[in-house]
Amino acid sequence: MKFTLFLFTLLACSWTANAGVFTSTEERADALNAQLKGNNSYHAYLARELATIAVVEKGQYDSRVAKAFIQRAEEEAAQAGGAK
Amino acid sequence: MKQRNTINRNKAHHIVLACAALSLSACAGTMPDTSVSELANARTAIAAAKAAGAEQCAPKLQAEAVSSLYWAAHELTEKDYHPDENAELIATAEDKAKQARQKAMKGCHEVIALKGVNFDNDSAEITAASAAILDHAVKTLQRPSHIMIEVAAHTDSNASDAYNLALSNRRAASVRRYLITHGIAANRMTAVGHGESQPIASNDTAAGRAQNRRVELRVLN
Repeated sequence: MKFTLFLFTLLACSWTANAGVFTSTEERADALNAQLKGNNSYHAYLARELATIAVVEKGQYDSRVAKAFIQRAEEEAAQAGGAK
Repeated sequence: MKQRNTINRNKAHHIVLACAALSLSACAGTMPDTSVSELANARTAIAAAKAAGAEQCAPKLQAEAVSSLYWAAHELTEKDYHPDENAELIATAEDKAKQARQKAMKGCHEVIALKGVNFDNDSAEITAASAAILDHAVKTLQRPSHIMIEVAAHTDSNASDAYNLALSNRRAASVRRYLITHGIAANRMTAVGHGESQPIASNDTAAGRAQNRRVELRVLN
């Protein structure tokens, strides 16, 4: 039982780490902006705008909304195809 | 007894797994609902801009419109409702989308401005000064030999619309002919006169009118 719980904890931690739960919204926004440097496509602009909103919402202690916006920003960034 | 312990242990595992899954999904968060009635006008404006090609031709404006829409949608769900801020965000979304649509409607082809290629009043003849600039354009066009070009000519507002349209067609044809005789393939170019419909300066002054009598090369691909 203990061993199973230990394994589960490890698995849960790896999931959350992969999901970027341990990375702050600001860090994710910075990474996104660096990734999209020079990219002037619609998806890149939208990603940057959404990341900015995420950071503002985080500043207003609305973590749930900040997470939703930064996640969507990262999806848009992926569609933008990174730096150009 | 042993069997009951096993069953209990399995139940405990399932509960732990279910709780973990629920907590992880709660962390993810969801984007706000933009389908509410307060955002109807903004949604319509954004859809119209998208249909006009704003994502390609005015990406920044369109992105600002869409992000404002999402933000407004979120703010509308807040308990401490701020009507002024929400109205501002909704207005921003609508305004940016309208700007994006207008920009997209004008077309988003890359323009090679032939600065200095102007025409004398009521003339489609290429001047010596213009020829020198066109020679430079020929060299530019010879390098990327796959690009297709629209030779777009314009006039000032003197004379009637119909006359100016015909004059701009002659100017576009004149420049296209010049480029062909200097080695650019005819099938890479179309000539289009826009008359006085797209001024870049005021037609109230002589200097402004001279700027409006111009030719541009629009990259079509």
